[in-house]
Amino acid sequence: MMKITLLFFATLRSLTGLKTLELELPPESRVADLKIQVAERFPQVAPALTQTALVSVNREYAADDLVIPDGAEVALFPPVSGG
Amino acid sequence: MNANDHPAIFTITEDELDLDALLAEITLPSTGAACFFTGLVRGRTHKNGLPPETEYLEYEAYTPMAEAKMRQVAEEIRQRWPTIEGIAIVQRVGRLYPMTPTVLIACTAPHRDTGVFEAARYGIDRLKEIVPIWKKEVGPVGDEWIEGKYIPKAGE
Repeated sequence: MMKITLLFFATLRSLTGLKTLELELPPESRVADLKIQVAERFPQVAPALTQTALVSVNREYAADDLVIPDGAEVALFPPVSGG
Repeated sequence: MNANDHPAIFTITEDELDLDALLAEITLPSTGAACFFTGLVRGRTHKNGLPPETEYLEYEAYTPMAEAKMRQVAEEIRQRWPTIEGIAIVQRVGRLYPMTPTVLIACTAPHRDTGVFEAARYGIDRLKEIVPIWKKEVGPVGDEWIEGKYIPKAGE
């Protein structure tokens, strides 16, 4: 298993009640696999994860098919609204 | 002048924005023009004749990624308007009340007609697309996270 650090922001932080979570994933897991695991653990964020939620891996926007490297910093958040 | 010599500021801060100090930091001896965009917390938004009131906005940022994406926005500005000298991109976070500046995009250049206006406009538009910052609107009847519409591509 590999370890990643998961960060939540904005609505996803409010819904999970968590800022960070250390998570174990099978090697070669993709972003899509992570979304499934997170949705099972936190059903309240499942709609956001299948619709608009964005994912960054090591601080770059990532698509569902990206293989997550061991030790990655992964963040889940809604489309941004700064300014 | 090499682009590496150009002053650049990318900051997420809880402190009040000091526009004069930021201008001084992005001014070179060759600078003759600066364009500033600053956004403010709007206390009243008129809709259908009924003004909903905002008590305050609560800003949150993914700071290390946000500062990296601000740097990327500045690189995009320099590719499009190579005459730009200094660039400052600053977002204030935390609880911000109406009439308070929240964000600053400032660009300097030798003259006003080589892109400073367009560069500042581009900067705020891109910040609202790719820089990971969010705001929650708090009013008399509750609060609501504001979500953008733009979906960045992988690696954007």
